[in-house]
Amino acid sequence: MQTITLKLKNAVMSGIAAVPVEVDALTPDKLFGKSEAELNAVNVWWGNREENTGELFDVSVEGDAASADEVKIVLEGDLTRVKRIGEGMKAGEIEARGDVDMHCGAMMEGGRIVVKGNADCWAGREMRGGELIIEGDADDNLCAMYRGEIAGMIGGKVTVNGNAGELVGQYMTGGEILIKGNANRLAGLNMSGGKITIEGDAELFGPDMTGGEIVMKGKVLEMMPSFKFLETATVDGVEYKKYLGDFAMGEKKAKGTLYVR
Amino acid sequence: MVEITDVVCSLCGCVCDDIVLEVENNEVVKVKRGACSVGKAKLLGHERIKSPMIRENGELKECSYDEAIKKAAEILYKSRRPLLYGWSSTVCEADKVGVELAEDIGAIIDNTASVCHGPSVLAIQDVGLPSCTLGEVKNRADLVIYWGANPAQAHANHMKRYSYVSKGYWTAEGKKGKKLVVMDVRKTMTSKMADVFVQVKQGKDYQVFSALRAILRGHEDVVPDEVGGVPKAQLLEVASMVKEAKFMMTFFGMGVTHTGARHNNIVNAIQFTRAAHLHTKANIMPLRGHYNVAGINQVCTWETGFPFAIDLSRGYPWYNPGEASATDLLYRADCDSAMIIASDPGAHFPGESLRHLAKIPTIQIDPYANPTTEFADVVIPAAVSGIEAEGNVYRMDNVPIRLRKIIDTDYLPDEEIVERILTEVRALREKEGE
Amino acid sequence: MADGELLIRNGVVYDPINGVKGEKKDICIQDGKIVESVTNPKVIDAEGRVVMPGGVDIHAHIAGGKVNAGRIMRPEDERKGVEPKTKVCRVQSGYSIPNTFATGYRYAKMGYTFVMEAAMPPLLARHTHEEMVDIPILDNAAMPLIDNNWMTMEYVKSGDTDLLAAYIAWIIKATKGYGVKVVNPGGTEAWGWAKNCDLNDAVPYFDVTPAEIVKCLGEANEKFEMPHSIHVHGNMLGHPGNYEVTTATYDLVKGIKPYRDRPAMHATHTQFHSYGGTTWGNFESKAGAIADYINNNDHVSIDLGSVILGDTTTMTADGPMEYSLYQITGRKWTNHDVELETGSGITPFLYSGKVSVHTIQWAIGQELALLVKDPWKIALTTDHPNAGPFIGYPIIISMLMSKKRREESAEAMHKAIFDRAELPSIDREYDLNEIAIITRGMAAKTLGLAEHGKGHLGVGADADVAVYDMSPEERDAGKIQKAFLNTKYTIKAGEIVVKDGEVVATPPGRTIFVTPECDDKLMDEMMVTLKDKFDKYYSVTFNNYPVQDAYLPHPYEIKAPWRSS
Repeated sequence: MQTITLKLKNAVMSGIAAVPVEVDALTPDKLFGKSEAELNAVNVWWGNREENTGELFDVSVEGDAASADEVKIVLEGDLTRVKRIGEGMKAGEIEARGDVDMHCGAMMEGGRIVVKGNADCWAGREMRGGELIIEGDADDNLCAMYRGEIAGMIGGKVTVNGNAGELVGQYMTGGEILIKGNANRLAGLNMSGGKITIEGDAELFGPDMTGGEIVMKGKVLEMMPSFKFLETATVDGVEYKKYLGDFAMGEKKAKGTLYVR
Repeated sequence: MVEITDVVCSLCGCVCDDIVLEVENNEVVKVKRGACSVGKAKLLGHERIKSPMIRENGELKECSYDEAIKKAAEILYKSRRPLLYGWSSTVCEADKVGVELAEDIGAIIDNTASVCHGPSVLAIQDVGLPSCTLGEVKNRADLVIYWGANPAQAHANHMKRYSYVSKGYWTAEGKKGKKLVVMDVRKTMTSKMADVFVQVKQGKDYQVFSALRAILRGHEDVVPDEVGGVPKAQLLEVASMVKEAKFMMTFFGMGVTHTGARHNNIVNAIQFTRAAHLHTKANIMPLRGHYNVAGINQVCTWETGFPFAIDLSRGYPWYNPGEASATDLLYRADCDSAMIIASDPGAHFPGESLRHLAKIPTIQIDPYANPTTEFADVVIPAAVSGIEAEGNVYRMDNVPIRLRKIIDTDYLPDEEIVERILTEVRALREKEGE
Repeated sequence: MADGELLIRNGVVYDPINGVKGEKKDICIQDGKIVESVTNPKVIDAEGRVVMPGGVDIHAHIAGGKVNAGRIMRPEDERKGVEPKTKVCRVQSGYSIPNTFATGYRYAKMGYTFVMEAAMPPLLARHTHEEMVDIPILDNAAMPLIDNNWMTMEYVKSGDTDLLAAYIAWIIKATKGYGVKVVNPGGTEAWGWAKNCDLNDAVPYFDVTPAEIVKCLGEANEKFEMPHSIHVHGNMLGHPGNYEVTTATYDLVKGIKPYRDRPAMHATHTQFHSYGGTTWGNFESKAGAIADYINNNDHVSIDLGSVILGDTTTMTADGPMEYSLYQITGRKWTNHDVELETGSGITPFLYSGKVSVHTIQWAIGQELALLVKDPWKIALTTDHPNAGPFIGYPIIISMLMSKKRREESAEAMHKAIFDRAELPSIDREYDLNEIAIITRGMAAKTLGLAEHGKGHLGVGADADVAVYDMSPEERDAGKIQKAFLNTKYTIKAGEIVVKDGEVVATPPGRTIFVTPECDDKLMDEMMVTLKDKFDKYYSVTFNNYPVQDAYLPHPYEIKAPWRSS
């Protein structure tokens, strides 16, 4: 097991502006096999300039790894402007100790990310596989698609311990999302597959669904006006009202399912 | 005294082009016809920024164009995350140089769509836009719907030139052969003219669109008795008007772009149009505010692939509105310098964003002083496009029209100012031997 | 223009317009033109390599309202082709709808130096020109749409061919356009009411048929010394069984005598118009029937509209067709009707080798090339981006040159190719001379650009040259495709713009436009009717309509005098 600790230097965020640092180059599979000196020399973008990782982070390495699976990256310091953590990662683990900026876990294929804080918008964007755990809240567009695409999340597992913003899982085609707190409006918009579970409150979930499943366990603030009630159904010993929709898409396409407590 | 015809107004997205002016001693002295009262005021001109200025010790001091341009170039060249914002009240020729400058210095280039019809662009990227030029509306539309918009006040010539009051080939009777429907949260000057006024509860437009779609697709049975404050009976009434129409045209404005489901309101409005298209010819169009916001979207798109909020800091275009849109950048204190051209964030941005804008070095390029001038560090006065400078603009329906130059001026046009800043930036780079 | 001298030495030259079919030959360049000899040139060694004139694309949608509407609508396409700026190049984006810079660079890297923008809505002409100015390197031109225009239909109804010609002259001049473009005649006007027209249906309210429109435009076009034929996207594009409408459309201009040695009609993206069957279920290729017609007649030329498998974006002025496509796929759809003139529709489309219909469409696009005997009647296109992006041209080239590649491809595709298409049974393989004809020679001739220096390497021609890093004996389809994708050298107006597959210079191209000349009296009479339209129905004024000179910083004018019969 190898642990690479990257602590963002205080100076980075103490200027006139909080220019974000983009760390898509710092995933376990990309850093695997690099010496400490090489790690320090990896380029990351800070605004319109590339800087050495060692210029922006205090870098320390402990242990060895036989493969990227055995690499764990720990990010510390003020991560609120650190973007693209774990973007496209294929293996290994990232632990972010604090609130993180946008695109955390975007296009992930494998491995595991744990955010010990809140995640900004587009966490898990276009996720393909792996696991993402957000211990705090997730902002808008959790696991959503990129603008214009008709497929967003296609696989993987995401858990948010706190609340989620708007548009959770837009254009989801596969995978699983669990929101333990509340979800803001339009969760599951354009969903065609996969499963979203909301344990807290939500309104207007499932619009334009053509497939997939939303399990709504908390308080419904407002239902979409275009779903058809089918029957009561029991899932894991709990009784739900089962709905079919979204009929705003027309009958042929209305193949999404809502389970509402 | 000279009379000038076919003058093109450079104020709002209507881009009326049949204005007749009188010019005397290199000054516009009269607007004879064609302009609405707001357009008239612009054409007659008002107080200008007299000279380029640089702020020293908190005070703006007059200087030459050269000095101001040099200072602007220095600020932008040194910057790690510069923002080039505005562009909606200037011509495409200036926009093109703006994109080139943004590319050169690795900046973010954004425009007023971010606070205006950006949500409409997002909607188009989701579902597309069934639309047409304004002459189509004038000649064919017998059902006109204004949703979240009050053109009687904000686009004063719109109804008489293009939509409801206008007369065209199959609409020779004007208003008489048409139906006007207004959907809004409160009564307005426009709703007073309507055959049907539908009052939607604030922030509930999304559900109303979904319900109408379900009805138009033959599933009125699933729709409850009231949706978003609108009784089902009224929804059914609007749906039957749609079914009976020969050509339905929907215009929408700020009332739906920034409330409730925001850009998803527009997605749903477009989906509503697509559902209507099962029954009749149906088109839809955003009521663009500024006279060339459509133009900066067009220029950015054909040059970078994307219409606004384009981040060029890594040498290639990254587009993700909400991330690189000006208000978000400023709110998050992301950028360390800004060039504001042909727009007025001081009047339109939220306070939190303005606080940061006031903190960072800011360059303003504009003919007129406005709230942004209060904290700008470099102020560069520009010629007024459409009066002192010519160039291409795109009307709200994306029809390209050329603004005329009516009078001479010593003010530099936007295009030249930005060009000179770019030249200066390149000189700085060469000096540094990069 | 480079005023230096350049010598391309020892290349194997294919210059079909001048009858050069793979001869070892030096090409001498001076002041941007091909010359007889040079004294102290920079030398490019083309030993053992294929040399051709710069490619001439007769039909692609690269600039203007619907192209940009497609870009705005598809950020997911734009992000696919993103490339950072370099010291020489601006940023690039897009795959099926590249940004203007990528359009210029990628065409130039394929050895192309001229592209014709296929369809320009006249009211939006300024937009087409703004974008063309932003396309580096390539010379260009654009064809205004003149067939659904109210003025056209009214003159067709009254039978005033001379007045129609006056209107054509006015529109081409006002838009700085190149020729007469026809797209779904009558049908796009009907689309203003969500309707469409077959060839002999009366257009609602205007009471003329598409057949009448095509015939009159064909006649009116020949009132001038027009470089190009009417350029026709016929009715019922994309519908099963449309091949009969297609040949009926061709018949309309049979009796018309063109002003010079070119056909009376150029029928475009013929693949989309060569369909048999009656439904998508029994859909089959009728490329054979269309090829027969072309083989037995000289009054029509075609371009292929070949399919490239994969994701692309459809965009045409055939509004109703785009709508029905969107209804089939449910994808996003943009529509833009243009008052008094035309319309457009845009929707993404995925051509899949697993789908029977797409497989047959793919086959048709190549069958047409292989069954038409005379390559001088064909141009290679993909109706970019409708059947596929232009970056796929090398794939089509390699298919036409290699039966083996066609067989390998067919194996991975739907079995319908064996009983509802002809491709697997065709053995013919194109040689480089034929490829040169269909990618530059034919287009230059048919467009009337050969006499203006395009598409050939005779003395006096523009020094637009492509050197492909490939031996003329190369038979491996993969290597052929690779060579045609990135040249060893591309020279434009005597300047090296591409070297070893990289863009090294980005001079601006020129916009070529035609000025038809018409009797003043006729023009004045037409103007009365035209101005009335502006007063009553257009939403812009007459004086603000024509494209101002400022939009063409590098113009090249071709005059088209009135023909004294």
